[in-house]
Amino acid sequence: MSWYIWTSLVALLFCVVLLGGYFVRLLKHGSPKDLSQKSGNIAQAVCYSCIGAMSPMQKESAYLHLPTYTAGIFFHIGNFLAIAVYLLFTLAVIFKFQIPIESATNLIVMILAIVIFIAAVCGLALFIKRLAKKELRDLSCADDYISNLLCTIMLFLTTYSLLTLQFGATYYIIMALLFVWMPLGKIKHVLYFFFARYHLGFFYGWRGTWPPKKAIQYDK
Amino acid sequence: MTNNITNEQKAKALAIISNTNDSKLETHLNACVRCGLCASSCMYYLTMKEGKYIPARKVDLVSSIYRRYKTWQGAMFPSLFHARELNQETCDEMVDSLFGACTMCGRCVKHCSIGVDIPFLVKKGREMLAVMGLVPKTLQATVDAAVNTGNNMGIPTEEFVDTIQWMEEELQDELEDEKSGIFLDQPDKNVFYTLNPREPKFFPLSISAMAKIFYAAGEEWTLSSKYYDVTNYGYFNGNNEEATQIARNLYDEIHRLHGKRLVLGECGHGSRAMRWEGPNYLKTQYDFDTLTVVELIGEYIRNGRIKLDKTLNSKVVTIHDPCNLVRNGGLLNEIRFVVNAAAANVVEMTPYGTDNFCCGGGGGALAMSEYNERRLKIGKIKADQITATKAEIVVTPCHNCVDQLTQINHTYKLGITIKTVAELVADALVIES
Repeated sequence: MSWYIWTSLVALLFCVVLLGGYFVRLLKHGSPKDLSQKSGNIAQAVCYSCIGAMSPMQKESAYLHLPTYTAGIFFHIGNFLAIAVYLLFTLAVIFKFQIPIESATNLIVMILAIVIFIAAVCGLALFIKRLAKKELRDLSCADDYISNLLCTIMLFLTTYSLLTLQFGATYYIIMALLFVWMPLGKIKHVLYFFFARYHLGFFYGWRGTWPPKKAIQYDK
Repeated sequence: MTNNITNEQKAKALAIISNTNDSKLETHLNACVRCGLCASSCMYYLTMKEGKYIPARKVDLVSSIYRRYKTWQGAMFPSLFHARELNQETCDEMVDSLFGACTMCGRCVKHCSIGVDIPFLVKKGREMLAVMGLVPKTLQATVDAAVNTGNNMGIPTEEFVDTIQWMEEELQDELEDEKSGIFLDQPDKNVFYTLNPREPKFFPLSISAMAKIFYAAGEEWTLSSKYYDVTNYGYFNGNNEEATQIARNLYDEIHRLHGKRLVLGECGHGSRAMRWEGPNYLKTQYDFDTLTVVELIGEYIRNGRIKLDKTLNSKVVTIHDPCNLVRNGGLLNEIRFVVNAAAANVVEMTPYGTDNFCCGGGGGALAMSEYNERRLKIGKIKADQITATKAEIVVTPCHNCVDQLTQINHTYKLGITIKTVAELVADALVIES
């Protein structure tokens, strides 16, 4: 196995250990302790927080910013797919199994490559937006640019590698950098996002705000 | 400008964000991705159009300090992760943004693409400023008044008792029944009622409106002559010890008078502070029932204890949803149930309910006169919302909202009447002799 694959695997281990550590620590802390009298259903509210409340119809951050929202969705889907591609092809190398793809014109490979390419373009667009808009630029720090760039480059490289079925040193080095950066920079929201949704569900569920009740129609 | 921050102040402030057992705190300090999409949900940003008002910037003020002192990557590479020193400059910015440019209304939370609890972090930032002694003096004076006198307006007990007796006489004249009354310090009553001190000070008619409802419902109720203040500005100044003391005043008083149900007067943050935060401040579960006056009136209507004739309120009414009662308190439908039972023509604002915009008076803003100009400027959003409804009456179950709406009404010349829910219901009461 090549040195660069080893490098990416060591970086992946670093990432998993750190993110895993955060995960275990958050789980150990448990739910907030609240002594007030509960007035709603926490489980239903957490479900709503993770599903219904994430609907683009419920969020101004989505329906008032549809291009950004759409780009963000594609960007995230692409990232998850690209990491799945990395895992699949790397496992194939480690365990020496054959992925039944004979050529890059395989339909599944083509679809994957197209989706990941769109995600890469979306990532680039989000990067340019961050650079171009003064208010967003003022809000940003190096981490924001590095995190976006690492993901975007990784997506372009994954597209190229899929289309050529050649996963070379550059690809694995970028994957390694991404894995190292993931638990350090803002990409760690991959973990904190879910806990944030849980805590919101807990908060609003406790007070009976979520899940939202149907509006009652009153006679005039 | 603040003076230089001492090491002792810094240590106290950092202790606030060092709670290693708090999953919620750790989560929200690490979750923001600075997408900036929260900007369009914040009335400060929508009005001022300046980057410093973006909610994510307020989050970053707190989380950047956390990264600098509580993460190794932030300590080693501060510029990479925007990890900031806690110094005079940061504190000045925090005071201006966290006290002066956020009412902790929570509208941004629902719309945040991640779900960062922004007011929770703003509150943490306020707590940091509080332990450093950097609470704006005007807000602190309000808290001091509550701690030292039992109510945030420093109304002497004699003055309060005089006001209550005067309102009681008026009530008895109106109802032509000497048994009606506004009862003080009566033990063993079913309802221990609380007020916003603005009522005895500026709006005594809202006390008699509620007394009328109690009379119609045949309720056994009492006020305390000393500890009747439902507000808790300790929730806003970030000083949890003071918030606890203020909550304890009511907690001890209901026990002293053996009240069965604590009924929270029309005050959004006060209801929140006593109902949801109070048990956590006091570190005990309440052994009495706690509910808002809106829920109590709803109960009276459902149980047939009061009768209302909605045609007595025939003007167009719209509801202003107090953030702490609706978005952060779950009373969306209950308020509508009561208002629709009392008024014939109710129209909604756009947006309303959990999406409603804050009036601008929350978060202690009404107490901080140094931000008056800003507060009234952001009130334009509410003024436009009200104008669009063509309503003649705005009803809201929160005296702080009433105060801000009154100022908005005056500033933007809306020509509306602002009422509390109790006032609206009292106007629709059918009292059979």
